[in-house]
Amino acid sequence: MTEAILQRISDGDRNAIQDCLDKYGGLVWSIARKMLRNSDDAEDAVQEIFVDIWKNAGRFDESKASETTFIAMIARRRLIDRIRHSNRRISADSLDDVLLEPFTRADKAIQVSVEAGQAAEAMRSLRPEQQQVLRLSIVQGMSHQEISDATGMPLGTVKTHARRGLLHVRQNMGLGGSNVSMEAAI
Amino acid sequence: MNEEQKDIFFDLLTKKAIYGLDAAEQAQLDAMDPGNAELEFNSLEMAAAAISMMGAADDEPMPASLRSKIIADANAFVVEQNEQTVAWPPTTNDDDKGYVTDVEEKSSGSWLGWLGWASAAVACIALALNLWFTRVQPGPGPEIAKAPPVETPRTLSPAELRDEMLRAATDTIKATWAVGNVKELTQVVGDVVWSDQKQAGYMRLKGLPVNDATKEQYQLWIFDKNQDKATPIDGGVFNVSAEGEVVIPINAKIAAASPEMFAITVERPGGVVVSKRGKIAALAKVETPAKPTA
Repeated sequence: MTEAILQRISDGDRNAIQDCLDKYGGLVWSIARKMLRNSDDAEDAVQEIFVDIWKNAGRFDESKASETTFIAMIARRRLIDRIRHSNRRISADSLDDVLLEPFTRADKAIQVSVEAGQAAEAMRSLRPEQQQVLRLSIVQGMSHQEISDATGMPLGTVKTHARRGLLHVRQNMGLGGSNVSMEAAI
Repeated sequence: MNEEQKDIFFDLLTKKAIYGLDAAEQAQLDAMDPGNAELEFNSLEMAAAAISMMGAADDEPMPASLRSKIIADANAFVVEQNEQTVAWPPTTNDDDKGYVTDVEEKSSGSWLGWLGWASAAVACIALALNLWFTRVQPGPGPEIAKAPPVETPRTLSPAELRDEMLRAATDTIKATWAVGNVKELTQVVGDVVWSDQKQAGYMRLKGLPVNDATKEQYQLWIFDKNQDKATPIDGGVFNVSAEGEVVIPINAKIAAASPEMFAITVERPGGVVVSKRGKIAALAKVETPAKPTA
């Protein structure tokens, strides 16, 4: 089995840095562009994300998650941090882009990782409103309030859809969690 | 924990996984934690990361300048790590090897890692010395035998590759381009050929204007018989850089079986995951099997 790129980085394999950029550069760039929307912000964030990746490479444990998911988690933490500190607002123009979804590429989830494919499958089992809330909040980085304003759903409903939707996706992906009355929360 | 408290608990965990929490919210979560908050959070965060990847386009390359900056950062990080390692050889602390980490946390270097980088540095120096001795140093040196010129096989043009595919494949289908919904584009003609066996195809186009790739690009969509019409296969982003007839290879992102229609849209540079179909430059419905002489 091929050694994980992150393990090779941790072991000091210089080629692994190029390999990491080749394999995950586009993914991280795309997640950043979607969440931040501003290219300059996204460039700064992606630079920081890769520094985080170098620093945390040795902590990757393939028994817990795939390398792709681990990198996406590091990316999201950094992006969330930036969004929280920048008080970003999404423009009205960009809302059109995210609310209208014809021609969605079917292949993307499958291409990026097994987990993304599983998530796509899990999302299909959700109610359309739950799917919409999760897509707008997680993929597009919109706040609950922004989603409420854009869709006309009451804020409390948006929060409930987010909670129930995410718990369902987790459950359907077999990611577990504890047994604390999932049914009640869902 | 009653039902209402559970809802609040999971609301906070969900918010933490999607947006992060401020200090007050984190304190509220800590106060409510029945002992499983970290476990719950880890799995919710993983689910959120998987969802975020659904919307990601991994074929959208990061700018070259950004890649250079990241490599420079990596080199600086390595140097910094080496300096720290040389000064204070770290000890391995297994307790510190948790899965979820604070991204601000300091990295723990390793001697093995340092040795790896050091070996690379030594190798670089050796290579540089070798180059200097063998190529730069004046005066007599080792005679380098002249290698016979290598004949590079000629690269076939897309038009030639198209002809080759039409000759070799027995299952080629063909569709003729018709105008889309862009009223300025009324002169687009040509065809598209595709082979399921070879998972390859070519578009022959005339009348599609030369595009400025920094402003917009063309993107092909493949409507497959087995694929929901709302989610066509991305056939790749391309440019038209010359007037007259151009032949563009199709770059399908997943296997296509029995395409029924092809569409070219005008999109932002790099293409899109979701096309608003505002500018459909051309459409082609599959009609007949293609003939080798097509």
